[in-house]
Amino acid sequence: MCGALNITVTGRVQGVGFRPFIFALADKYHLKGTAQNNLDGVIIHAEGDSGQLKNMIEEMQQSPPRLAKINQITVRETARKGYTDFTIISSDNKGNGIPWMPADAAICHDCKTEMDDPSNHRYQFPFINCTQCGPRYTIIRDVPYDRPYTTMKEFTMCPRCYEEYGDPKNRRHHAQPTCCPACGPVLALYDHNGSCLNINTQAKKMTLDFLKKGKIVALKGIGGYHLACDPFQPQTVARLRQLKRRPTRPLAVMMTSIDCAKQYCWITKQEEERLLSPEMPIVILQKKEGVAIPDVISPGLTTLGVMLPYTPLHHLLLDAELPCLVMTSANTSGLPICYKDDPVLDDLKNLADYVLTHNRPIHRPVDDSVVQCDGDETFFVRRGRGYMPEPLKTTGNVDQIIALGGDQKSAYAIGKHQHIYLSPHVGDVENEEMIHFLEDHIRHEQEWLHSESTCVAFDKHPLYETAKIAQTMLGEKISVQHHHAHHVSCMEDNALEEDCLGIILDGTGFGEDGHVWGFEFLYGNARSVTRLGHLTYTPLPGGDRAVKQPWRTAVGMLLHYWPEEGERIAAELFPDRRKEINVISQMVVNDINSPLAGTCGRLFDAVSAILGICSVSTYEGEAAMKLADGLGGTDFPDDDEKTYPYRITSNDHGYELDVSAMILAIIQEKCQGRSIQEISRRFHQTVVSCCVHMTLAIAAKRPELNRSVVLSGGSFQNNYLRKHLQRHLEKRDFQVYTHKQVPCHDGGLALGQMIIASAARQQ
Amino acid sequence: MERISLGHGEGGELTHQLIHDVFIRSFDHGEQARLDAAIISSSSEQIAVSTDSYVVDPIFFPGGDIGKLAITGTVNDLAVTGAVPKVITAAFMIEEGFPIRDLKHIVKSMAQEAEKAEVKIIAGDTKVVERGSVDGIFITTTGIGAIEQSYLNPESMKKGDAVIINGTIGDHGIAILSARKQLGLMTNVTSDCASLNQLIQNILRRTKGIRAMRDLTRGGLATGLVELCEDFNSTMEIEEAALPIRDEVKGACEILGFDPVYLANEGKTVIIVDANEADLVLDILHKDEYGADACLIGHVTAVTEQTGKLKLKTPVNTTRRLSRLSGMVLPRIC
Ligand SMILES: [Fe+3]
Ligand SMILES: [Mg+2]
Ligand SMILES: [Zn+2]
Ligand SMILES: [Zn+2]
Repeated sequence: MCGALNITVTGRVQGVGFRPFIFALADKYHLKGTAQNNLDGVIIHAEGDSGQLKNMIEEMQQSPPRLAKINQITVRETARKGYTDFTIISSDNKGNGIPWMPADAAICHDCKTEMDDPSNHRYQFPFINCTQCGPRYTIIRDVPYDRPYTTMKEFTMCPRCYEEYGDPKNRRHHAQPTCCPACGPVLALYDHNGSCLNINTQAKKMTLDFLKKGKIVALKGIGGYHLACDPFQPQTVARLRQLKRRPTRPLAVMMTSIDCAKQYCWITKQEEERLLSPEMPIVILQKKEGVAIPDVISPGLTTLGVMLPYTPLHHLLLDAELPCLVMTSANTSGLPICYKDDPVLDDLKNLADYVLTHNRPIHRPVDDSVVQCDGDETFFVRRGRGYMPEPLKTTGNVDQIIALGGDQKSAYAIGKHQHIYLSPHVGDVENEEMIHFLEDHIRHEQEWLHSESTCVAFDKHPLYETAKIAQTMLGEKISVQHHHAHHVSCMEDNALEEDCLGIILDGTGFGEDGHVWGFEFLYGNARSVTRLGHLTYTPLPGGDRAVKQPWRTAVGMLLHYWPEEGERIAAELFPDRRKEINVISQMVVNDINSPLAGTCGRLFDAVSAILGICSVSTYEGEAAMKLADGLGGTDFPDDDEKTYPYRITSNDHGYELDVSAMILAIIQEKCQGRSIQEISRRFHQTVVSCCVHMTLAIAAKRPELNRSVVLSGGSFQNNYLRKHLQRHLEKRDFQVYTHKQVPCHDGGLALGQMIIASAARQQ
Repeated sequence: MERISLGHGEGGELTHQLIHDVFIRSFDHGEQARLDAAIISSSSEQIAVSTDSYVVDPIFFPGGDIGKLAITGTVNDLAVTGAVPKVITAAFMIEEGFPIRDLKHIVKSMAQEAEKAEVKIIAGDTKVVERGSVDGIFITTTGIGAIEQSYLNPESMKKGDAVIINGTIGDHGIAILSARKQLGLMTNVTSDCASLNQLIQNILRRTKGIRAMRDLTRGGLATGLVELCEDFNSTMEIEEAALPIRDEVKGACEILGFDPVYLANEGKTVIIVDANEADLVLDILHKDEYGADACLIGHVTAVTEQTGKLKLKTPVNTTRRLSRLSGMVLPRIC
């Protein structure tokens, strides 16, 4: 029996080779008709044998192209038009959808095979790509996604490439960045004086040579420049750290293959999948013990960030003699990633010995993504390359809202109808350069989204640069409390709309009472939350300086908990700081530059300092990370008796958690010589137990509350904390939700701010 | 010990005695004291007037006291507008029980500083309030200066103009903090509290191309420059590495978590001057006791239609945007 169907496919189906895929299916099942892109997705008119039509739809669902992600297939019967063949017709800008742009994808298997084949005309060609792989988001200037609107516009296709491009059966059909050695970009190697040393194959050979000799080379990648060097040459790594002003922060390593990565790290199935996925993020892996990845790469940690080569150029630069490369974004700590070409050579010459670059411009900078896996779940540490610019769908109207996020790990969000475009990780917005970078970034995104914001959501912190930027923008201003934003971010990440409990364990955020919050038990939704419990406030002597110097936070706690003996205990714990402790104790007593804070991040800092693990953080989260290091993977017997003592008291405002007894016990155990690892584990168990008991106390007092709990805030990057708190709460009949699509830290704030602003606007 | 009583403020005999013993003797204004108001004459067409109240804890600190401050502060406010300070009036608000010896000391240092700055203290007022209504003593001074010639020309400010400061920053702020004994800060820093009018007049007379000046007080260097940037639509960039800061001040900031650009000064002015005249200005400054540590700290980088901004280039080559002192102690780092 014959039939005709109108099939609309939505989701990530454009720029991913979906039409050629349909073309091939039509050919296979002897179907006639057309395929066309419009703003809604791909619209297919197919006619032929009914059984074959069914087969086509089935195969479409079951084995779509690797980059495609189908949300919905809508099938409608329609009248036969009597087509004699199947054709792809050019894009139509009609539809009710939203502007759309594809994501960058790591080199695919087919392209890799071609570039390894000496008989192929793209043999060792560093810009090989196809509909299934290559740069996208980073090279697109405007929508629709078409070559003239990309930075490949400058490169006129040679006849051979043009033929492939036009051939619906070819895997480069409408592959917008396609090119070959005859018509594509040129690779060029510069020394740090800016002289060009060589181009193409010779440039690559020289680069490889330099890297092996211990030189630092800046490599132009997908979303910006990397600094690359051999991780096995400690002096080179030390030099890189010095140039980047990044003394101890872990560096990511690119490894030639998954097998190579397995030599150095333990890799679970989930981690392997992520490493090999088209997004190819950096995956944080557990290092194997006694294997030779030098400690200087991730000093003091048992983990290592690993990624696989995701561009053809990376493949050319890794070989048997050089199986691993340190790859870190090319910028001095605190400055934006380098991605523009003209000024870049100037900037880079202070960071690298050589620069390997090319003339395909990067239009949108984006950092590598970083993920962390636990069992079959994956969590974002940094959302960037590969995941951009996929919108998140929501149920409310978020049109024309812009949410600026926070100052740290900044990411903003732009609302369009019912879609939220969360920006990639921008970085810490602390200085003029980052403010400009952010403002430029926002301008770019607003341009292609044709979005003019009439409502600006931002953090309540009066000193945040993002809050100041908000004041310069047009439209209604909505300031959002930090932890409310975290709470709603996690709700939205799990499509929750009803009131729920939130356990927000975080670094520092500006609280409604003017103090620093970050250990919060909230209840509510996007419209409002009530604070039902929190950690006792203790002073942070020196403000920001205490965040960078956890020993201060520890001293602040000791002085607060034990006004009489605190100073003596502090001096015993930190004998080198005696002189400062004396002053700090006066600062605390006289309330000089000592804001009050009750935050999980600072609690971890204090314990890390007390245990002598880290008393000064050289990068954000160092003290907490090192305290948690090594616990993430292990399961512990569920034993409440192994917790330290703590107290939950209640007052008019709710519950307060007092951990002074725990701090004292930790100090005693440390003095008694109990192992640091053991104490750290017990500390973690105690934090979990505190949260569980606080939640139970709240639920007992207010039995009418929903038993859904969202876990958000930067401290939930701590695998142990997240996993065990979830487990314990689930055992007690709570439904527990964690982040899925956005980071739990401040990189996810904008999502919450957006939803809160949308709710506020409706009121 | 003799102390101020409420009776000293009632306007009767006790008040008369106090004024006579403490004020007239020190301020040497026998003539005016008999009249209800002081009468002065001035030959210049324009006069400058400034008023300020002084409250400081502690009242006596290394390098000065509230009395000296009450003179230098008002003198400097006048001086940076290009005026030559001539006369000052002073109003005292004194807490019941305040030691008369301390009052005498304060009044004496006012008189000394006025003499040094060549201004006359010509009128005054005294009120005594109940215990707890003020903290010891508050002083309000009003100064009048003559603008003999207008040297300042802020409208001609242009890209490339030099930003000069006459010495180290933050001394007063740290001196005050360490004088509050309870801090236990071990520094020898003394307040920079000084009248700069003669130095400023000297510069104004001997150079051309001075665009603007501002005396730095509460809110520090950053707040003073931000105000200049905003008032004259100019953007300035200063170099962190070029800022003159005493090691003790740096050390204290390190411990306390303060930023020296926000620490109070009481004898510092910034001078915006044509780049060609910068060396001459520095030369003059270096020869003066209040300008020995003077240096060039930055430049005007743009003069625009919109509000100007203040930027600070850090030693790691990033640029911080500086705002006014926020008055809030809140960590920003997550
Ligand atoms: Fe946060
Ligand atoms: Mg003043
Ligand atoms: Zn490919
Ligand atoms: Zn070609």
